[in-house]
Amino acid sequence: MSLVLGLPRGERTTAALNLAAQLARSSGEDLVVCAVGPATWPPSLAKVDAEYQEYLDQAIQQSLDAAKATLPPDVSASFVAVRARSTPAGLLEVADQQGASMLVLGSSSAGGTGRVSLGSVADHVLHSAPIPVAMAPRGYRCAPGPGATVRRVTAGYGATGGSEQFAVGAAGLATRFNATLRLASFAVRPGPVLTAGVGLHAEDGVLGEWSRHIERVQRDTLAHLAALPAAPLAMEAVIGYGRDWQESVEDVGWTDGDLLVVGSSAVGPLARVFLGSRASKIVRNSPVPVVVLPRS
Amino acid sequence: MADVRAQLARLRSRLRYLGAQLLRRKPVTAMAEETGADSGSGQLTRTIGLFQLSMIGIGGVIGTGIFFVLSQAVPMAGPAVVWSFVIAGVVAGLTAVCYAELASAVPVSGSSYSYAYATLGEFAAMVVAACLLLEYGVSTAAVAVGWSQYLNQLLENLFGIQIPQALSAAPDAGGWLNLPAVVLVGLCALLLIRGTSESARVNAAMVVTKLCVLALFIVIGVRGWNSDNLAHFAPYGVSGVYGAAGVIFFTFVGLDAVSTAGEEVKNPRRTMPLAIMIALGTVILVYVCVALVAVAAQPAEKFKDQEAGLAAILQDVVGASWPGTVLAAGAIISIFSVTLVVLYGQTRILFAMSRDGLVPSVFRKVNPRTVTPVRNTVIVAVAVAVLAGLIPIDFLSEMTSIGTLVAFIVVSVGVIVLRRTAPDLPRGFRVPGYPLTPVLSVVGCILIITNLRPITIVAFLVWTIAVLAWYFAWGMKHSELGRAERERASVEDGTP
Repeated sequence: MSLVLGLPRGERTTAALNLAAQLARSSGEDLVVCAVGPATWPPSLAKVDAEYQEYLDQAIQQSLDAAKATLPPDVSASFVAVRARSTPAGLLEVADQQGASMLVLGSSSAGGTGRVSLGSVADHVLHSAPIPVAMAPRGYRCAPGPGATVRRVTAGYGATGGSEQFAVGAAGLATRFNATLRLASFAVRPGPVLTAGVGLHAEDGVLGEWSRHIERVQRDTLAHLAALPAAPLAMEAVIGYGRDWQESVEDVGWTDGDLLVVGSSAVGPLARVFLGSRASKIVRNSPVPVVVLPRS
Repeated sequence: MADVRAQLARLRSRLRYLGAQLLRRKPVTAMAEETGADSGSGQLTRTIGLFQLSMIGIGGVIGTGIFFVLSQAVPMAGPAVVWSFVIAGVVAGLTAVCYAELASAVPVSGSSYSYAYATLGEFAAMVVAACLLLEYGVSTAAVAVGWSQYLNQLLENLFGIQIPQALSAAPDAGGWLNLPAVVLVGLCALLLIRGTSESARVNAAMVVTKLCVLALFIVIGVRGWNSDNLAHFAPYGVSGVYGAAGVIFFTFVGLDAVSTAGEEVKNPRRTMPLAIMIALGTVILVYVCVALVAVAAQPAEKFKDQEAGLAAILQDVVGASWPGTVLAAGAIISIFSVTLVVLYGQTRILFAMSRDGLVPSVFRKVNPRTVTPVRNTVIVAVAVAVLAGLIPIDFLSEMTSIGTLVAFIVVSVGVIVLRRTAPDLPRGFRVPGYPLTPVLSVVGCILIITNLRPITIVAFLVWTIAVLAWYFAWGMKHSELGRAERERASVEDGTP
């Protein structure tokens, strides 16, 4: 089993490499750094674009060399250059050939620093990959050295249909990374309705009722997970409250070595990653790296 | 002889037990606990100032009925309907002041139901709840029916089409079903299921929209002023004026929003009465101007059964359709927001009752995904949609009025009762002019109620009796408060 890193270009490489190294260190798996270039045209006698193809090969090789230099020395990695008709297709192909257990991507440079934002490649992969996909926030760095591993896996837990299986998947991930597991549910509650004449805290009652239900489900799930043969080292559950998703995600508290896991939407195909609307809101507001699990 | 005495004693103790049940009050600490949850929102910051509180009052009141109430009220009172607005407004103001004292005695936020439960006991709370179900549920229906009139007017003006009478009127008014009203309620329910809020900014924007629409009516409509229309000022005398006040009263529903925000108001002693007066003054002024312009613009006979009344009057005055179109568009936006807010209020009152164990637990089930009480919202929306689709508007607005009036009587009496039974209870706000204010408030409400149509009063009594029958048959046994008491008693007795 190995991790496949889709190498982004330019300044974004460092963040993605940092995350890939951290994950590889935690799970002890091999890392495959993969750079994808555009596919060659059908060979023609004239060889008009031979020089251009050569230039592309060079560019890809250069980026791989740069990655080699940046990668922390304690992580062993192999480097692959492929040509494919599209970057997502090339990445998924390499992942398939290597029997990869996870695909790692960087954030788009359109997002803010410290946030996960999906570029066009990530967007495509997050709606089709058959294996978990990890995303580094923009500018992600973790403490250097062999100590930088994943310490806690936080599962964004919706407590709706199919979430039991997702929790099992997240627990598996935590075990793989030798990390603790935290179930986190997020409540986004809008402000009060001022003129309804039912007081400005009518929503608190609704939220209280919701919390009680979620806490019960979380407890049940934790009990179920504890009975698993490969249960994580330690488990806890939290609820994040906020007026919007950002507040709510931040409310649960994050530290170094945290990893957020979300599941795929129930409307997506089986055994594929398919980022739903709520999961994508959580992903976009996550201050830590994110892993999206396929639907099991 | 001894036998009879023993029986009498047993009967007396049973009656006493019943009385204790009816008067059991919900401790304030319990209310604080359940609203606070562990979401860190329990601590209060007093953040609402005079301006914002006044805006809450104006936003809560304006728009509930002024757009369509004239077609029912003017045939009852003639041009003297102007006075009906003043009377209804003054009574609403008196009760709002009483309400504010009751609300301030309970340092947690809630509706009049929660205040009644905490101060007057379970039975009074149930009576208030019966009234509130009318005030909210039925007024949502009434407002939705008014919305469908303006929608039809707008469609007519813009595209020259109209929804057929069969699909835009209640059976009693010559149709099969009021479809637009049903659709409106459905749309609002969808928004509520998704989760909605109304910030101070949204409210301010709505207030400005509503005031602009009504100002447009006044400014343009006054050009059609014809003093001849005012010649027979009060053709039906004083009783007509009071009768119309009863119909109109529901256009003042929502003033209690000021009182329920009390907990977060800076310096409530000063701010509260001022805000109520500012809101009420503004609303009465606007309503009276609208009514005066309307009755001066067309003869009283023309009001009867006039649909989308304000838009129709403007079109007659100007002789063109554009003012009617603008007004109808404004009315559609305003009424939509009001329907949403009132429907929301209804679901949250039932939610609170369900938590107290007085209605079934289905009303407090919260959907884990949307964090809203979905089933509750659906049930309420279906009930309101049925009312809005099948019952004509005049009956709906009278039922709303009587519900509100009786709730206000309970609140005003409650203020007097509480001053006697718990004189030392800390109150953030005290009624000025006690005991005159609550007494006047009760008298005013009774005066208006007695001038309502007998059928409305009968329907109200039937409804209240039905709710109380529900209480004695189900709610009393399932009350959370009662359950807690029984548990405590069994612990004390040492019996499991």
